[in-house]
Amino acid sequence: MRSMWWKYLSIIILIYVVIMGLSTPLKPGITSVSKLNVKAGSMENIQIEGYNTRFADADNRVWLKLNDSYAIRARQVAVADNNRMTATFKFPAETPISAKNAPLTLIIDNEVQGPAIMPSAMFINGTEGKSGDGWKAPIDKIHDLPGIQFPYRNILNETIRNTFFHIPLWFSMFILLVASLWYSVKYLRKQHIKDDIYASCLIRVAVLFGVMGITTGSIWARFTWGTFWTDDIKLNMATVAMLIYVAYIILRSSISDVDRRAKISAGYAIFAFIALVPLVFVIPRLTDSLHPGNGGNPALGGEDMENTLRMVFYPAIIGLTFLGLWFTSLLIRYELLQERLIDDTLNEG
Amino acid sequence: MKNKITPIILTITALFISSSARAEGGVIDFLGSIGKIYSVIAVIVVILLGIGYFLIRLDHKLTKLEKQINNNE
Repeated sequence: MRSMWWKYLSIIILIYVVIMGLSTPLKPGITSVSKLNVKAGSMENIQIEGYNTRFADADNRVWLKLNDSYAIRARQVAVADNNRMTATFKFPAETPISAKNAPLTLIIDNEVQGPAIMPSAMFINGTEGKSGDGWKAPIDKIHDLPGIQFPYRNILNETIRNTFFHIPLWFSMFILLVASLWYSVKYLRKQHIKDDIYASCLIRVAVLFGVMGITTGSIWARFTWGTFWTDDIKLNMATVAMLIYVAYIILRSSISDVDRRAKISAGYAIFAFIALVPLVFVIPRLTDSLHPGNGGNPALGGEDMENTLRMVFYPAIIGLTFLGLWFTSLLIRYELLQERLIDDTLNEG
Repeated sequence: MKNKITPIILTITALFISSSARAEGGVIDFLGSIGKIYSVIAVIVVILLGIGYFLIRLDHKLTKLEKQINNNE
């Protein structure tokens, strides 16, 4: 009996990922405000639309924050329904700092739901005043909604949950490819046909994961970036890397001699991996990309990930990697059986 | 066996794509409704299809292997 625990573990983890990933609610968010540019000294009625909000269910306090020390509070809040309200702001005649299109952060604190925040909701123009009169509204006693919620992001909305399905596919694909590199090198050193079978099965499952990664990414792109395919650098470089590995599979099937096939494909696999690293990890960081974490900064730190997302994201990587290894082990067992069958026929003949 | 199933899968995929292209407005609107939650479901379905494709391929390979073993005996 082979050790089965990690196979069961992968199923349990993936069930956890799907249930947690789909059932956890999003934090309330603000989708739009009716006015973008405001002037100091004016009085504005601003219509605000929320997503997943419960404006009508409890008291709301609304602020516009200029920076950490200056904010103004809405004079009046008129709630239309759970997702719509009108907030009336009286902007003081002068701003505490010289403001030319300075961004204002809109904060709505709801008694039962806690805060909904929209950064750069509006932009203010005004001349600098000495004291910052009227900008001293304290943002305090912010409510907390108990339990776990995923962050709300404009444009992303609910598709933030794709973080647990699209990205882990690529992570586990990369882990499988690292493993295949190990076996390719091992084959070239020791020339055991078993290592060649291990490497090729790992790559076949990795390519399957890569194709799923591209397809899921394409669907995600349609609903956030507006099109199934963009000229985004990471997307296209990942596709090139995938095609290199697809060529590996085709190359293998074109060579009938077992030892030659093993040697050539091991060498090709090492080359393909060396091409993969700059294509996926280096080039996208040198230019701008729509993907988070490119054009310089790492993706997993900073504002793109939150701890609530990590609670599901990391298990998803582990679960999908184990699932991929399980698939690989099935393919390997099949290939080894066929190998034995061929050997038996040769010996009998 | 393997050669029989691949065209079937391709046909179904092509039909799905062409029908969704014709009704793209409707399908896209549906997938994008309620905070785009159905596009997440579409992503999960794609992963399940990938797993299903792998299982079907393996199934056919094993059937072939079984036949070979039976013929040898």
